Parts: sequence; C-alpha cells; structure tokens
Amino acid sequence: MSVTMFDVASRAAEYDARAPQDILRLALESFETVGISFSGAEDVVLIDMALKIRPDIRVFSLDTGRLHVETYRFLEQVRKHYHIDIDVLSPDAAGVEKMVRAKGLFSFYQEGHKECCGVRKVLPLRRKLATLDAWVTGQRKDQSPGTRANVPVVEEDRAFSAAGRTLFKFNPLANWSSKQVWHYIRSNDVPSNELHQRGFISIGCEPCTRPVLPNQHEREGRWWWEEETMKECGLHAGNPAVPGKT
Amino acid sequence: MRITMVKKILADGSPCRKCAEVETRLRDSGHLNRIDSIVIADERDPDSEGQKLARRHGVELAPFFIVEQDDGSTRVYTIFLRFLREVLQGEANASDEVQEIMERGPNLDFL
Repeated sequence: MSVTMFDVASRAAEYDARAPQDILRLALESFETVGISFSGAEDVVLIDMALKIRPDIRVFSLDTGRLHVETYRFLEQVRKHYHIDIDVLSPDAAGVEKMVRAKGLFSFYQEGHKECCGVRKVLPLRRKLATLDAWVTGQRKDQSPGTRANVPVVEEDRAFSAAGRTLFKFNPLANWSSKQVWHYIRSNDVPSNELHQRGFISIGCEPCTRPVLPNQHEREGRWWWEEETMKECGLHAGNPAVPGKT
Repeated sequence: MRITMVKKILADGSPCRKCAEVETRLRDSGHLNRIDSIVIADERDPDSEGQKLARRHGVELAPFFIVEQDDGSTRVYTIFLRFLREVLQGEANASDEVQEIMERGPNLDFL
C-alpha cells in the first residue's frame, strides 16, 4: 500500500477494538519497512506475534550501555530462540563521552533522567526511525493511566516524521492489560526476561529501574527519585519550556 | 505556503507558558512574520478556532503549527524545533530537538 493512501484516523478507529495480531498484520502488510521496537521486556510478545505473520520482520533494540546484564542475556536468548537478527543500536560515543565528562555517570539522580535518556536512547531511536516507514511499540494504556490513557493503536508519528516523509507508529498492545500480555507469554511459551521473576515489571536501565512490591504500579519502579510529574509530561501539564531557550 | 500557529489560553485565562516562549523565540529570531495567522485554542471554549483545529488534526498539545502547501497538502508540526528547522530553515541542534520530543512525547523514555 502506498504510504500516502494510509488513512491513519480511520484505521485507528477501525482497529481500536481489534486484536493485537490484527493491528500487527495491518502494519506489516501496509508498509515495506516496519521496525519492531524491542525493549527486552514484555514487548517480546510482539516478536512472537509478528513472526507468525511475516518471517522477515525487522527488530531493533536500544542498547543504552546501562542495561541489566539479564536484559542483554535476554536479547541474546530471543535472537536465538526465534532465529532473528536484532539490530542493537548504540548511542553516539562522542555524545555519551561529552555528557559523562561534564556531569559524571549518575547525573540523572540529581538532574533528572531526560538528558541521559535523550543521549543514550532517543537520539539513536531517531537515527533508526529515519530509515523506516512505520514502527511498532509495546506501549499499553495500563502502563501509565495518567499519560497513556490515549495511546491509539495507530498514529502518525509527528515527532519523528521528516519533511516529505510521514512515519507511522503502531501500538498493537495499547488496549491489552498486563494480565493479557502475561497470559499470552505463558500460553505460547514465549521466553521472558528473568528480571520479571524478581519483581521487576517495567524494565529499563539498571540504575533507573527497581523491582516493585505487590500492588505498586509498575511505573513506581522507574525514576522513583523524581516527582511523578517529571516522569511523564501530561498532555496538558505544564507545557514545558522550550529546550535551548533560557 | 500558509502557516498557522495555534496557541493556547489556559482554563484560568493565562497564556500557556510554552506558547509564549515559542512566540518570543519566533519574534527574536525574525521568523514571526513568516506565520500567516495565529489562532487561539481556549481551554474555556471548546468552540474556539484553535480547539476546533486541534480536534480536526488530532493534536493535544500547544503550540502547534499547520503548514498548508500550495499543492493542497497539509502537515502538522507539534515539535517546535522540528518546525523551525524544516519549515523556517532556522537553527536547531539535534540534542535540543530530542529534549523537546521527550517533553512532548512522554512515552519515549520508557522504550
């Protein structure tokens, strides 16, 4: 299908109540270059589902350099289990060195995590997305009800589109709960990150992730030293200052 | 090409901080005259022109920019620095743009 023919608004409405596999099929059959973002956590279900639709899927992971060793082991386990290539993306060395030289290795505990995530995660992501027509994430509404309540199953990615090139973002698990994801993992013998067995739900970089207790929300395991509002910028919360503007 | 900037008035009647900063930056850099019209999305009035445009284009953050090309195509920009770089050919470095993307796209750091 031609990208210009993809009516994102109508597709989002049409597929909102559809199964994740249907949404993945829409992505994989509508676009030639589709990348599945794999964080080394529960989003492994996307790989399992996608391979049943199209064997030549493209999977990428963002290696920040600060992941748990268990996550690196899991990436390798998934690569071998499914016999797929995983494009493991590294941050720009000069950018990391500059930040670490100026601020040390744990600046996020004092200054918040955004700068570090920007250098180690989002810049490499931006580089990768410039090569794709569409990408797939494991984002779910129940992961952060305050800010993900409106996660659509498909959207135009206005942050990473470029002049003359529209990028689309698919969120097949948007309407699934964590319980549904884990039911799929167990029912389909999908491998999982061993950190989940130790109380980790949301898994990111090692210094910024911790296990949570029963009845704690998974987001309490990420950047726990920051104010809640700093973790995710609410849709109408604050309208933060323009970067680079003092 | 026609450019519309949509800026927001908050529920308490005050201007949205980011909208004001963006407008100031456009003015200081000499780009404000490239904006053909500035319309208001008033949180107190769902029928304000800006609110209607936000709904029509599926935008939930202000400010945003609607760029209508002479061939009839339309592109919406919600990242100011991307708009500055791509449409106005202004200067924006990648790190600053990524920081803005993260602030506007709250889910990316969870990837």
